[in-house]
Amino acid sequence: MLVRDIMKSPVVVAECDATLASTYSLMREHGIRHVPVVRQGKLVGVVTDRDLRLATSALSTKPFSPKARIEKVMSQPAQTADPLDPVEEAARTMRQLKIGCLPVMSGADLVGIVTGLDLLDALLRLTGVSMPSGRLEVGLPDHPGELARLAAFLAAKQVNIRSILSHADADDRIRLVLRVGTIELKVIAQELRTQGFEVLWPALSPW
Amino acid sequence: MVIDVYDPNYLAYDFGPAHPFSPVRLEMLLDLLHELGHPVGPMAPQPVSREDLLTVHSEEYVSAVEEADRGEPVTDPDRFGLGTPDNPVFPGMDQAARYLVGGTLLGAHLLFYDKAQTVIQLGGGMHHAQRDRASGFCVYNDLAVAIRYLLDHGATVAYLDIDVHHGDGVQTIFYDEPSVLTISLHESGQYLFPGTGEVHELGKLHGRGRKLNVPLAPFTEADSYLRAFSAVVPQALAWFRPDFLVVQAGADAHAGDPLADLLLTTQAFETLFQRCLEYADKFCRGRVLFTLGGGYDVHSVPRIWALLYLTIHGHPVASELPASWRQRWQERLGVDLPAAMHDPNPAYPPVPLREEIADHNRSITNRLLDSLMPYWYGSV
Repeated sequence: MLVRDIMKSPVVVAECDATLASTYSLMREHGIRHVPVVRQGKLVGVVTDRDLRLATSALSTKPFSPKARIEKVMSQPAQTADPLDPVEEAARTMRQLKIGCLPVMSGADLVGIVTGLDLLDALLRLTGVSMPSGRLEVGLPDHPGELARLAAFLAAKQVNIRSILSHADADDRIRLVLRVGTIELKVIAQELRTQGFEVLWPALSPW
Repeated sequence: MVIDVYDPNYLAYDFGPAHPFSPVRLEMLLDLLHELGHPVGPMAPQPVSREDLLTVHSEEYVSAVEEADRGEPVTDPDRFGLGTPDNPVFPGMDQAARYLVGGTLLGAHLLFYDKAQTVIQLGGGMHHAQRDRASGFCVYNDLAVAIRYLLDHGATVAYLDIDVHHGDGVQTIFYDEPSVLTISLHESGQYLFPGTGEVHELGKLHGRGRKLNVPLAPFTEADSYLRAFSAVVPQALAWFRPDFLVVQAGADAHAGDPLADLLLTTQAFETLFQRCLEYADKFCRGRVLFTLGGGYDVHSVPRIWALLYLTIHGHPVASELPASWRQRWQERLGVDLPAAMHDPNPAYPPVPLREEIADHNRSITNRLLDSLMPYWYGSV
């Protein structure tokens, strides 16, 4: 999954000489929290709703006037992403810099924007249920060929795998969560157990 | 007045000897009712027409089922969910599925024209079938066709689904429909097919606040299930006030079911059926249509559906099963069947984490009701 698959476009932008008040209205009008700032069509920074709130807060020692220009309060230079970056790369950048969005640049052109919410959508697409399916969780030793053994078993049953997630647990065992296209998963789990697989879900009866 | 709907053609809905959705369960039920002295005297439906199917299914999908049935090669059968381990293609599939739809549609017709107050359709309940695909043993969605018929005649319908699996097909088909209230209680999709039916699935557009899901934890027991049922169902029906109630009475939430992990007993099912009738009386002048549904354990399914039948008809419930019935089916199936109508008490050993499971279900139920309040009674 690439940034271009999850980014929003076209992008709502503000000119650098726009006022805090007009940018605030812009955010309200579009229901957004992040606005790239441009000067003569060129990206020069990003302003967020948080930037506006902090800049104008009554708690601030020297609050900005609503008529101040946004270039005075924007974050710069803007951190950006490339449309061809993998989504996990965008996630890593945003997490490391603790920022909420990345304008997406293709060469010198601003072609989109990715926010934390878009990454959550991507997570849902990666983990979510898009087709009727059942949940199979299997613990596999961390050796080559183990996943192939499991996949071959399911293929022989003509069972379609809708999605696969994996992570290593504390014992260096790989935990695989598969969504598979069958209602008869408990039957398959039983057969997997007899084949020596460690099936973590569906569970054995508690007695 | 109660009318039974059934046709021997239902038995042709048969995916083969190794498949769990076996017509044997239906044969066992009819035979049991006969032996109990309450032979079913049903009205027989016609198979539905193509036009009836097209009220909820896409033309492309119906054509694919017809082609597969004729043994013609279907382009990309997986796109239509056909020819999978759950939904293998068998000769006569299209016709058999149309009979099932015909029965449920006949039930809706009888209710609408006041020919019956209560209908029990001894088949159907194919709640996983989607607009354009077969799924989870279901080819055509009889429930949706019947509900659509009632809607098209200006009625409002509440749909209650106690099958252990989420009623995803019916929910999806009516997701934005304000005149249909759907309520599904099921084992959570986080653990069980089809994976949907979370609390936050509330419907969209004008249907919002009218699609209800109670996803219960695996190994939920009767007390916890009935608590959730009583917290949600009467309140929803009192608010929605449907003209008709349609109940998908799947039997697979029973503790013995091989495909799922809820732990209802026959006693719990009897209580559920009584409450359904009670709510129908209270909230929709008693107008209720029951269908069968999932349920794959031959030890419990005939007893559960016999309880449904006896409860609906107001017949007394015998404590013992007829010995001749038991002997006949033990021989035919080569299994040991219970002698009593109801499960022993306790029906299974104690469940670890019982309190945690009940607490979880309580909080799920509260979360559902909290999220519905703004749609039902305005912002609170």
